[in-house]
Amino acid sequence: MATAASDHAHGHDDHAHTPPFLVRWLFSTNHKDIGTLYILFAIMAGIVGGAFSGFMRWELMHPGIQVFTDNGILGSGFFKGHNGYNAMTTAHGLIMIFFMVMPAMIGGFGNWFVPIMIGAPDMAFPRMNNISFWLLVSSFALLVMSLFTEGGQGPGFAGGWTMYPPLSTVGHPGPAFDLAILSIHLAGASSILGAINFITTIFNMRAPGMTIHRMPLFVWSILVTVFLLLLSLPVLAGAITMLLTDRNFHTHFFDPAGGGDPLMFQHLFWFFGHPEVYILILPGFGIISHVVSTFSKKPVFGYLAMAYAMVAIGFLGFIVWAHHMYETGIPLDLQAYFVAATMVIAVPTGIKIFSWIATMWGGSIDFKTPMLFAVGFIFLFTIGGVTGVVLANAGIDYSLHDTYYVIAHFHYVLSLGAVFAIFAGFYYWFEKMWGVKYNEVLGNIHFWFMFVGVNVIFFPQHFLGLQGMPRRYIDYPAAFEKWNTISTYGYMITVVGMGFFFLLLLEAAVRRRKAEANPWGEGATTLEWTLSSPPPFHQFNELPHISADSSH
Amino acid sequence: ADAVNNPDIVGQPVDGAMGLQPAHSPLKFQAIAFHDHLLLPIITVISLFVLALLMICVVRFNKRANPVPAKWSHNTPIEILWTTVPVLILMVIAVFSFKLLFAYHAMPKPDLTVKATGYQWYWGYEYPEQKIPEFTSNVLTKEDAAARNEPYLLAADKAMVVPVHKTVHVLVTGADVIHDFGLPAFGIKIDAVPGRMNDAWFNADKTGIYYGQCDQLCGVNHAFMPIEIKVVSQADFDAWVAQQHAPAPAATPAAAPAPAAKPAAGKSASAAAPQHLALNTQASVAAR
Amino acid sequence: MASGAVKHDYHLVNPSPWPLIGSIAAFVMAVGGVIWMKGILGFEKHTLVVFLAGLAGVLFTMGGWWRDVTIEANSGDHTPVVGIGLRYGMVMFIASEVMFFVAWFWIFFEMSLFHGHRVLTPDANATVGVAQAWATWPPKGVELVPAFELPLVNTLTLLLSGTTVTWAHHALQVGDRKSATLGLFLTICLGVLFTSIQAFEYHHILADHLFFSEEASNSGLFGNAFFMATGFHGFHVLIGTIFLTVCLFRLIGGGFTPQKHFGFEAAAWYWHFVDVVWLFLFSFVYVILPGLK
Ligand code: HEA
Ligand code: HEA
Ligand code: CUA
Ligand SMILES: [Cu+2]
Repeated sequence: MATAASDHAHGHDDHAHTPPFLVRWLFSTNHKDIGTLYILFAIMAGIVGGAFSGFMRWELMHPGIQVFTDNGILGSGFFKGHNGYNAMTTAHGLIMIFFMVMPAMIGGFGNWFVPIMIGAPDMAFPRMNNISFWLLVSSFALLVMSLFTEGGQGPGFAGGWTMYPPLSTVGHPGPAFDLAILSIHLAGASSILGAINFITTIFNMRAPGMTIHRMPLFVWSILVTVFLLLLSLPVLAGAITMLLTDRNFHTHFFDPAGGGDPLMFQHLFWFFGHPEVYILILPGFGIISHVVSTFSKKPVFGYLAMAYAMVAIGFLGFIVWAHHMYETGIPLDLQAYFVAATMVIAVPTGIKIFSWIATMWGGSIDFKTPMLFAVGFIFLFTIGGVTGVVLANAGIDYSLHDTYYVIAHFHYVLSLGAVFAIFAGFYYWFEKMWGVKYNEVLGNIHFWFMFVGVNVIFFPQHFLGLQGMPRRYIDYPAAFEKWNTISTYGYMITVVGMGFFFLLLLEAAVRRRKAEANPWGEGATTLEWTLSSPPPFHQFNELPHISADSSH
Repeated sequence: ADAVNNPDIVGQPVDGAMGLQPAHSPLKFQAIAFHDHLLLPIITVISLFVLALLMICVVRFNKRANPVPAKWSHNTPIEILWTTVPVLILMVIAVFSFKLLFAYHAMPKPDLTVKATGYQWYWGYEYPEQKIPEFTSNVLTKEDAAARNEPYLLAADKAMVVPVHKTVHVLVTGADVIHDFGLPAFGIKIDAVPGRMNDAWFNADKTGIYYGQCDQLCGVNHAFMPIEIKVVSQADFDAWVAQQHAPAPAATPAAAPAPAAKPAAGKSASAAAPQHLALNTQASVAAR
Repeated sequence: MASGAVKHDYHLVNPSPWPLIGSIAAFVMAVGGVIWMKGILGFEKHTLVVFLAGLAGVLFTMGGWWRDVTIEANSGDHTPVVGIGLRYGMVMFIASEVMFFVAWFWIFFEMSLFHGHRVLTPDANATVGVAQAWATWPPKGVELVPAFELPLVNTLTLLLSGTTVTWAHHALQVGDRKSATLGLFLTICLGVLFTSIQAFEYHHILADHLFFSEEASNSGLFGNAFFMATGFHGFHVLIGTIFLTVCLFRLIGGGFTPQKHFGFEAAAWYWHFVDVVWLFLFSFVYVILPGLK
């Protein structure tokens, strides 16, 4: 074969066996180990972000201020009063997006399975892969520091994950937000390096026969995602750099008194921000395709349409950003354009939804835990998607913008979409990654509690939004109490579900049932199932050959 | 109820309600029609359709009901179908969506212009044509609101007063950070951006009190800067205007029990009543 | 699939301490930056030590990292397929840099093309007075840098440097190391010349208060956008110059072969990128946009 041993010396026999513990985990250049680090990191961040949302829901259960008192949450001295609530909401958004979903999907599953699925022994730049991870840790450390540093209205930055100036400039003069900006810079650098790595890996390291149109859909989804990252994150970096200089170096980019315009930041932010939301969901689309096909024991329906639908979504994602800005006073013709462009995205997304269903149609479906999450995903993402189409209409957005309707919309696509996709992937690849089996019963219980719980949290929020309850409110008029209370009950149910998730992890760790190479049988056709569970430290020392009939 | 001193509360949220707040201005009527009769049915049907398909798969194609999976993975006609049908649906939505959007931006000739300025954390209202300098409107404390029988966090110490059945043009700007002037019953929500002058309009169909809130995160008291609009008859409005010009502004009808309002952060602002404002309103109308 | 002998040409890198060290250094640098700007953790504002320590750490990491890369390249780890990967990587990196500049150009376009929009929305806020200030573009009282004087010279400088670096590349490909060295040397000289002219121009702008105007409150913004766009470009020129200089030393030290000289090519690509950005800056920021009324 073309890649027979070449003349140069592959003299590093240390590749064959695993390096000592500290070297292995601190200095890693192994995509699977780095993927594992990412996943552990994401779970940690998910716990923090989930706990934060718990304090928020607790506060919002009833009118009045009960949790975020002037002495700090529950009198603890941390997260004091109104500012504490806003700081925690901001941190919740940033943590969930940058430190939970992205690391889990791209850093975690992407690292683990992109090289394996294309038949490559590792990522293109294994050492750079590791700095992507450690930069994220540094970034998280900065964000946590920022929470305990003076922001200007109290500790932490409390200006929302969208960081709109002037609230983020003159409104938060303290150092907390400078730390947060630099935190985002590092997270951005981490992601850009990761994106370069994935693109190179996918373009350059496919095994013989693995043409672009034979690539598994998860690889396609990561490919589109990292392109979005590569092209959108630098714009965010520019925007927050301007925030930094407006705050510290007397520039006036966003300061009207100096001729600047706060809306310029919003344009730059959403030019990144909207592609970002597809960054959060596209890898999930990839995961769902695999899970649905595996458990239906049927090849994925309309492979090419599925792949190019993602490309279309990625492209369209760049030209719809101002649907977040209908109320800012942008000209009417621009608003009309963004209405139309935004709605177009429903078409490729619909293609995906219906193709998943068509994959199941006629299949012999085994409803294991990953499949439950996948089916849950399809339904709940549809709900979140169609409320997005509602919001796309500027005329209605004038009533719904910045209300809980928006919160409900994006939690349906994120907390019920992206997170369900993460759990689907997590269970799907559980044996492959950890080398042990999970307990189906606990997995089922986890699913059902979560499914019920998150719906009870977020469905009533549509009603709150339609009635006009604004978001980012620590306290609200009594007339919003009923649905808020119910929403908080939903959180309690969700937490029970998460409890079962951790129980499941514990059970699997204690029992250590030996994993099979392919627990899912004939439906699981991608390359990772040809390897042992867990795979050898370095797989594919001899590259696999892909032929036309091996399915995706 | 006494229309001036103890008016009905018309525009406010209702506990347990599930839909948009009832409309009291033409735009909101159209918005509700668009949402309730077009968007909501469409998205409900789509969601239920997807749910139904999934349920069919669960029932008919689970491994017990269908042990041998089919192997097909293409069907061009159906792919064309599920691409074109959504396109058609979206085109229908778009037609009505644009109608509503353009309605929002086709303001009839306004009868009255009010300038609302968002401050951290209260509103300032100014009536350039009536030469009423800016006055500030602060949230009522819980006790004061209760004393006035108004809902806490919606009630303000001094309302913006406008006549009924008149087109009111609201100019909105922010003084420090971005706020947002949102009033559900009139279906308006417009950002108060420093350095910009945005506008919105409404034409209230009923006298009474209408509540709105600040809809853009603006700092620690973002939840505590409600908007209260009192819609009165033209006669009452004229009387109110006259009263604003009277030398002692102490007893306005809106502040009947003269509450010990919050140590008003807003007093300094009312002094800076800008002058060159009236001329600009028409320009803005023209610009739309 | 047993982990038998490695039978492919990809480069499996040994575990490396640099990512961890570099990330810690970046963290220190970030904290140091905030200390410098604001003063936290008990440090006075304007304290630079922590930032410099972090910066030193980052530079140390870069040095060590690239040293390792060079060693690996020389020991034959960079097989043809790995070389292609490096090329993809560099292209993607440049693409992300392009998007970074998009942000700065965006500001400029917004200011010059859409300033009229803000005048239409009447501004009643006397303290801000934005409407009047935005009525004209460039802002009233702002003196522009004449495009066809020093900036034009700079444009020609960079264009010329683009040809010299291509000359060096071709010379290297045919094994003419002497010409390659000369071409590279000239390129670096031209880079330094560009930076010097730019520094001179900045000095002129600042000393004569060209962009400062009492009459227009947005005059500051003009300068901000100008300096950030051209400044970041200048920063990239510096990086490119350093990159080329490293290549020059490697060339003189006997590095690079006619077949394998990716380090050099990457530097040349980067240099072309810097060149193209400048062409855009020159066309829009100096010539076209200021001309729009
Ligand atoms: C994973 C993340 C994610 C995803 C996938 C989406 C998907 C979409 N989003 Fe969402 N959105 C967010 C995350 C996401 N969003 C976030 C975080 C915010 C708030 C940010 C903030 O302010 O903090 C937001 C806010 C937001 C707004 C601004 C609201 C406001 O602030 O006023 C709008 C407006 O247009 C919008 C629209 C859409 C649309 C049209 C889609 C579409 O892509 C959806 C397409 C999918 C479907 C439509 C369902 C499946 C399709 C079919 C079954 C076919 C048939 C359907 C039809 C014919 C309709 N989103
Ligand atoms: C991915 C993104 C994400 C996720 C998952 C969530 C999850 C949740 N969010 Fe949040 N939320 C945001 C993104 C997200 N959110 C954003 C962007 C904002 C806006 C912030 C702003 O205004 O600036 C927001 C705002 C927001 C608000 C509005 C606050 C306000 O405006 O005042 C509320 C209120 O109820 C809320 C609640 C919740 C709740 C109860 C959950 C629950 O679902 C939480 C339950 C926990 C989980 C479901 C996570 C479990 C996951 C793991 C433990 C990791 C597992 C990992 C692996 C297996 C690898 N969120
Ligand atoms: Cu003012 Cu929110
Ligand atoms: Cu969006």
